[in-house]
Amino acid sequence: MVGIVIVSHSPLIAAGVKQLASEMAGEQLRIAAAGGVDDHTIGTSVERILEALREADGPDGVLILVDLGSAVLSAQAAIELLNEQQQAHLILSNAPLVEGAIVAAVEASIGRPLMEVNRAAEQVATLNKLG
Amino acid sequence: MPEISITIQHKAGLHLRPAAMFVRTACRFVTNILVRNDTRGGDYKNAKSTLSVMQLGVNQGHSITVRADGPDAEAALEAIRHLTDSNFEDTGADMPA
Repeated sequence: MVGIVIVSHSPLIAAGVKQLASEMAGEQLRIAAAGGVDDHTIGTSVERILEALREADGPDGVLILVDLGSAVLSAQAAIELLNEQQQAHLILSNAPLVEGAIVAAVEASIGRPLMEVNRAAEQVATLNKLG
Repeated sequence: MPEISITIQHKAGLHLRPAAMFVRTACRFVTNILVRNDTRGGDYKNAKSTLSVMQLGVNQGHSITVRADGPDAEAALEAIRHLTDSNFEDTGADMPA
């Protein structure tokens, strides 16, 4: 099963998105939160992202979902610290954080491969939620 | 092709948690499963794709048709019928919809 890492400037957002996605996808989901510089400080931390990548890692790879700005830079910096073999099964996604995490979590939980999980998560940006 | 029609009673329609449960139920079967929102009209979509199901825009009271055409089609439709009959096993107002 594809693992998921949630990167947000806010530790509460990262933890909350993880909670919501887990609720949708079931307990077996591999999902880790990397929010804030520490538990009380807004920002992003390369160290926290690396820790979350280790936590969510598995044979099927990891999808990284980010909010904005330095979350992207920190995630890229974390990825650059890994070796090529590790990098090969990571995708940094352009998906919206909350909606993307929900779709990615469900798609991962039903055993879809990493590329497909990312595609579904990125496409949710086009969903008309006002119906 | 075996098919069933269902009216969705869940207050949130086929969004978020009900959509996730719908897709996860469909994925337990090998058969191709298609679903259409009869109330809005439109095309049949893949019932095993979270995004496709959410894109149907199924609200409370909408009717859907579910079609399956593989070896376990009947079992798949029965499982989906059971899920919707149980109103997505909704036991409390505290569950996200």
